[in-house]
Amino acid sequence: MSDLTLLILRLAFLLVLWGFVFAVVYALRTDLFGQRVRRQSVPDAAAAAPAPSAPPSVAPVQRPQTPANSLPHSTAPPATSTSANRLVITSGPRSGVEMPLSNQPLTVGRSSESGLVIRDDYTSTHHARLMLLNDSWVIQDLDSTNGTFLDGSRVVVPTQIPLNTAVRIGTTSFELRR
Amino acid sequence: MSATNQGPGATVSESGQRNTNTITDTIRIRLREPARLRNLELLLLVFAIIINAAAILLVQLGALGEVRKEVFTYSAALAVLALAMHVTLRIAASQADPFILPIATVLNGIGIAMIYRLDLAGGREGWAASGIRQMAWTAIAMLAAFIVLVVIRNHRVLQRYRYIAMFVGIALLLLPLVPGLGREINGSQVWIGIGPQRADGSVPLSFQPGELAKIALAVFFAGYLVTARDSLSLVGKKFLGMRLPRVRDLGPILIIWVAAMGVLVLQRDLGTSLLYFGLFLVMIYVATGRISWVILGMTLFIGGAVAASQLLGYVNSRFNGWLDAFDNAIYEQIGGSYQLVQGLFGIADGGLVGTGLGQGSPDMVPFAESDFIIASLGEELGLAGLFALLCLFLLFVSRGFRIGFAGQDDFGRLLGTGLAFVIALQVFIVIGGITRVIPLTGLTTPFMAAGGSSLVANWIIAALLLRLSDTVRNQPRLVVDA
Repeated sequence: MSDLTLLILRLAFLLVLWGFVFAVVYALRTDLFGQRVRRQSVPDAAAAAPAPSAPPSVAPVQRPQTPANSLPHSTAPPATSTSANRLVITSGPRSGVEMPLSNQPLTVGRSSESGLVIRDDYTSTHHARLMLLNDSWVIQDLDSTNGTFLDGSRVVVPTQIPLNTAVRIGTTSFELRR
Repeated sequence: MSATNQGPGATVSESGQRNTNTITDTIRIRLREPARLRNLELLLLVFAIIINAAAILLVQLGALGEVRKEVFTYSAALAVLALAMHVTLRIAASQADPFILPIATVLNGIGIAMIYRLDLAGGREGWAASGIRQMAWTAIAMLAAFIVLVVIRNHRVLQRYRYIAMFVGIALLLLPLVPGLGREINGSQVWIGIGPQRADGSVPLSFQPGELAKIALAVFFAGYLVTARDSLSLVGKKFLGMRLPRVRDLGPILIIWVAAMGVLVLQRDLGTSLLYFGLFLVMIYVATGRISWVILGMTLFIGGAVAASQLLGYVNSRFNGWLDAFDNAIYEQIGGSYQLVQGLFGIADGGLVGTGLGQGSPDMVPFAESDFIIASLGEELGLAGLFALLCLFLLFVSRGFRIGFAGQDDFGRLLGTGLAFVIALQVFIVIGGITRVIPLTGLTTPFMAAGGSSLVANWIIAALLLRLSDTVRNQPRLVVDA
């Protein structure tokens, strides 16, 4: 094996190693630069229009072995009678859809790891967080670019969400209901 | 309301349970989405396996000038193990992060290639060869990761065992001090050994229980801080713009400080002591968001370390070896800076692109395959290769922080952050020590250095991060597409 071949091989190895680093970075680019907004065609949105007539159909139903259910402390009712136990989208593309609330915090944002994923031009990757504090739901804005609005005013500090009060994030509004 | 609107977490095949629904006619049966994350992982894993095989091939070409059969046994064994892990993830945690396994595989494989290269230089074969033993430990470590993934189906279970984790952690820390079980190797009493001690101080089976203790302590800190953080963060007097904690809330930090100092004094191990204390500080900072804890803790630790450097001979010699490494008297002294300086010479010899795998002389540095593997790699892969490895560590740690950040429950968030940080801090302590940024301490480079306990502990950390990320993506959720 000549020295020249070895030199070429070891430089090639370094290049391959860096290639791997960049392959990983390329694969996680959505994490670094945010999720791309996918535009849906109008017919698709029209097809979604009759959705409100059957809201439960799209609410993500908890699986039997869903993590939250196998927990010791979630065998208790998810929330007491005084707090909300479902989230209803009141305006925006998925208006009328609802999702059940457990007693775990819920994140809102464009990231696919969020509990409520809102993909539009106005939502930040990690936009806001809902958590249950002393039996009432509190919303916290996670330094989002375009803000979170509770009943029309911008949320600056973690604020309690009263029942049936609109929270607006981007083009989507939702309410907490019992 | 097309099926594509649902994210992968919600598209579980649950048509069986849904049949009882009265409005089934409006439901489109949602098919199981192809495991996009796992396919991406497989692609990166194939890349990783190729890199590992290439590294071993280059070692043989560089050191021997020929290709021997070991290139197939080593790379095939690694490939089989990594692919077995991948299949486990497909079954047990299909939504887990796709980057952790390939990155850990590359780091582990390059570590094995370098250890094998040092075996060739030292003429070791069979079970005396560290490379073979490292391969066996890799198999044990991946088996441990497999067991963690299969047994712990939900990370929140760990929260229930936080106090057990505390006792396990402390017991593991104290185990090397038990007479008859503890072994003093190279001046540090951090090992347990079974079997008679050989003349050179090594024992047939030795293990560093402190490596596993860091996982147990991370679980305990996360569980404890979830319940205690309000009292740690909300009360206290303001002073110089910081909210100082109350005196009675200082208990936990003082206990951890005493434990860290105990490790420093009784086991003579600066690195481990720094690792545990740093882990606690970061987790308390993440839980409370108050910088006063960090300042308080750093003051305590630096005060203790400076006092120890004055009082304890071995810490003092480490400090001198760090500050005046090139002083001839310290260089020649036993326990002086010989190893550190040889490592630096090696890295300097490597230059920008290294001498090439198998073509340098990293075996001149004592413990080149364990504590100083970074110096060996720096010599043979050069600055370019070392930075690629550092980038891989950075990516691994950033994935961990990311998992912690995206977590829904406080325990998972703290645990993810803590586990990722422990890897980051360990990399900093080791590489900082070898490159003379901080005093040299005896810690292992995660995933790379020869040593079974470190490998097992780090693969368990990887498995826990994979489990956490799977839970994060698998929660019930709703997707609104504009």
